[in-house]
Amino acid sequence: MPSLFRKKRLILVLVSFILLVALIGFSLRERSELTWPEKFVHDSVGWIQTIFNQPVQFIQGTYANIQDISSTYEQNEILKSRLSQYKSIMQENQLLKKENEELRSSLDYQESLTEYDPIDASVIARSSERWFSQMIVNRGEAHGVERNMAVITGEGMIGKVQSTDKFHSTVQLLSGFGLSNRISAWVWQDDDPIHGLIQGYDEESKSLLLKEIDSDAEINEGEQVVSSGKGGVFPAGLLIGEVTKVEMDQYGLTQTAFIKPAADLYDINQVMIVDRSMPTHNIEETDEEEEE
Amino acid sequence: MIQRFYLPLILLFLLVFQGMAMSLLPGSLAYSDYLITPHWVLVILILITIFFDHDDTYYSLLYALTFGILIDMVYTSILGVYMFSYGIVIYLLHGLKKMLHGNFIVAVLLAALGIVLTELMLFTIYSFVQVTDIPWESFLSIRLVPTIIANMIFFLLVYPLLKGRLEKWAANILSS
Repeated sequence: MPSLFRKKRLILVLVSFILLVALIGFSLRERSELTWPEKFVHDSVGWIQTIFNQPVQFIQGTYANIQDISSTYEQNEILKSRLSQYKSIMQENQLLKKENEELRSSLDYQESLTEYDPIDASVIARSSERWFSQMIVNRGEAHGVERNMAVITGEGMIGKVQSTDKFHSTVQLLSGFGLSNRISAWVWQDDDPIHGLIQGYDEESKSLLLKEIDSDAEINEGEQVVSSGKGGVFPAGLLIGEVTKVEMDQYGLTQTAFIKPAADLYDINQVMIVDRSMPTHNIEETDEEEEE
Repeated sequence: MIQRFYLPLILLFLLVFQGMAMSLLPGSLAYSDYLITPHWVLVILILITIFFDHDDTYYSLLYALTFGILIDMVYTSILGVYMFSYGIVIYLLHGLKKMLHGNFIVAVLLAALGIVLTELMLFTIYSFVQVTDIPWESFLSIRLVPTIIANMIFFLLVYPLLKGRLEKWAANILSS
């Protein structure tokens, strides 16, 4: 009875298609937390990856050490010459810090937007699907990681926490930022920082788009962009990148700057997840919801 | 008895390694301008379809659905896409295999076909939900072709390792 078989097959395809649409719809909805099966799978896979990562990282580490040894002498010379400069900078730094604290206390302005508590994490895997710029790190809810925290390396910001599990979390890299993930940022200039919003990533030029800059603001290539700490949960002063190009938008009301991320988004092993010390009020999230 | 667990273990191992490879390989290799995506799990699933499954057993389909949803959960934030693509492709190959002999040429052709179909389905679905917005031509040149080449190399590496074993396990498990 071929017709019966064909009917069965058709129904099967239809049902699976409906299931697909339902699942996609379910996951595209703005979710503040993952379901428990997802968390369970993430954590289990994460543990296996951690186990396999240990020997590999050991080998990588040893190799790097051997390479380091061969260039030790030269580095030592350079470092020695830097050390003397460093000492004086450190003293100056301490002085400034003290002064800053005194001024703060006299102003009764205790908490600062720039302060944060870092959580160290190492990267255990990255998404094998290249259209998702995600990676998995080995710190989760149990270590105090929360959704939307900023993730940085020594060089600068690389992304934010997209979702958390008990012991692992998923980080969304800057290259995967869309319209819904905005960062309030400043173009750093001597006298007055220029405010803008980072909205989206341009795949072609491999740079972030800083939009809604005043049309009369003067921005030059090579200027640095840092997070402003306004709205959202990111602390202020995290280095994001460097301006490479500035364009007027089509109506001439605002400008868009192209920003090359300061941190290497590909070779990442160790990251810091930063939690702003100051209590947060999610301005960014609420106004996102309003717009939708 | 323990042979029953070999296949799921191999698949799980590759699932885990797919993501680790992306972070362990040097950036210049894994992240060139080409969007090479590893489909190691799929390659093994295709081998299972051809050399393990009989005409009336559907182990490969079961594994395709299970590991498809696992990839969705672990590596993407949208559920169901890999599960659907892997499921449909393996079901199709399972049907095609009934008409063909399981020799090397057939295996290579089926594997290539499977990878192409999967990539096309992933591209279609991800374009729909706006995960990607690259035009069709650039998809062809920067993603589809490099991905096929990379995964076929992997296929040629695992083919001699797994073909004989899969047939042996099939004889032990499916006939008992």
